[in-house]
Amino acid sequence: MIAREETLRDLMTRAQGGDKQAYAVLLEQVGRWLTRFFAQKISPDAVDDLVQDTLISLHRKRASYDPARPFLPWLAAIARYRWVDRLRQTYRHAADELQDQHSEGSHEDVVGAKISIDRLLHQLPEGQAIAIRLVKIDGLSIAEACTKCGQSEPLVKVNIHRGLKRLAALIESE
Amino acid sequence: MTNKFDIAALVDDLEPVTALNPRRPLMIAAATLAAMIAVIVGVQGIRADVMAGHPDEMFLIRAGILLVLGGATAHAVTSMASPSVGKSNNGWQIALAAAVVFPLSALIVATTGDIGPAMSAIQSGMRCMMYSAIGGLATAVPMVLALRRGAPTSPSRAGWLTGIAAGGLGAFAYNLHCPFNNVVYIGLWYTLAVGGCAIIGRLVVPRLIRW
Repeated sequence: MIAREETLRDLMTRAQGGDKQAYAVLLEQVGRWLTRFFAQKISPDAVDDLVQDTLISLHRKRASYDPARPFLPWLAAIARYRWVDRLRQTYRHAADELQDQHSEGSHEDVVGAKISIDRLLHQLPEGQAIAIRLVKIDGLSIAEACTKCGQSEPLVKVNIHRGLKRLAALIESE
Repeated sequence: MTNKFDIAALVDDLEPVTALNPRRPLMIAAATLAAMIAVIVGVQGIRADVMAGHPDEMFLIRAGILLVLGGATAHAVTSMASPSVGKSNNGWQIALAAAVVFPLSALIVATTGDIGPAMSAIQSGMRCMMYSAIGGLATAVPMVLALRRGAPTSPSRAGWLTGIAAGGLGAFAYNLHCPFNNVVYIGLWYTLAVGGCAIIGRLVVPRLIRW
């Protein structure tokens, strides 16, 4: 069972004051909350890494929590930032991959591209969404994707490049 | 769970911290602005109408908009240091929309052919940009330091807003000296000053605050 907002807020306030016992309980509870939070947004094998990254961020940035405000919205903002960061890394990998003319994405790229993809893809122009879905999610080669969607090879590459960039911007602006 | 070891390490590393106070960087920025005003007035002098106690209407509007723009945007910047999903900091958008009236008005007036001293007073315009940038840089320092200590979750936006805030406050400081009341002059040079600072902020600040 995960502690309630009031309890977490109290634990965080005490942790800011240096209470290690409260901090240990807080991190344990936050770890569980984050596992559930990320489970909806990333593949299961990537959740633990993201939870640990977020816990480290919480530790480094604990002074940025304002005790007068609710705790969970602050934690969610930190968690979402780490999540967006992961997506950006995926985008950079994808850009390198395109420059190298390779069409097969690594497992990490595919995992990253799946982050919240269903909710966000419909906000992209159709050509970009199709290109990302075919190559980054379905795993087709660029040539296969061209045949399937009727776009030229350069257009598919450009659409993936622009689409991933736009996805990162969409998440940041939410 | 799998992060037990990490949790123990983090707990061992715990030191007491003071929660960020968003008012502190704002107060430092305000003090810096006051110092910049003193420098500009000392070096360049103050407008004659302000000195005489009868400020021109255009000066009052310009000063008010620059101060509101700089203040609202600076407030948004320091709020970004303490993130929270669902927290709204949109006051700066209204201030920015109000400030856009100047370049729009300048454009409309300029199309009639009446550009006033906008182009002939280039030296003054360049001085406006230079002092705005210097004043902006000084007021940006406490904002950037607050962002670095905090956890801004939109570095690009934080960069734009820091630049706009710094440019607005820097331009406000110079505006106390600037003798021109022409709307085309204001729309051109003050927009370049604030816009230039915004672009610099966007280019420089995100690199300093990413975490």
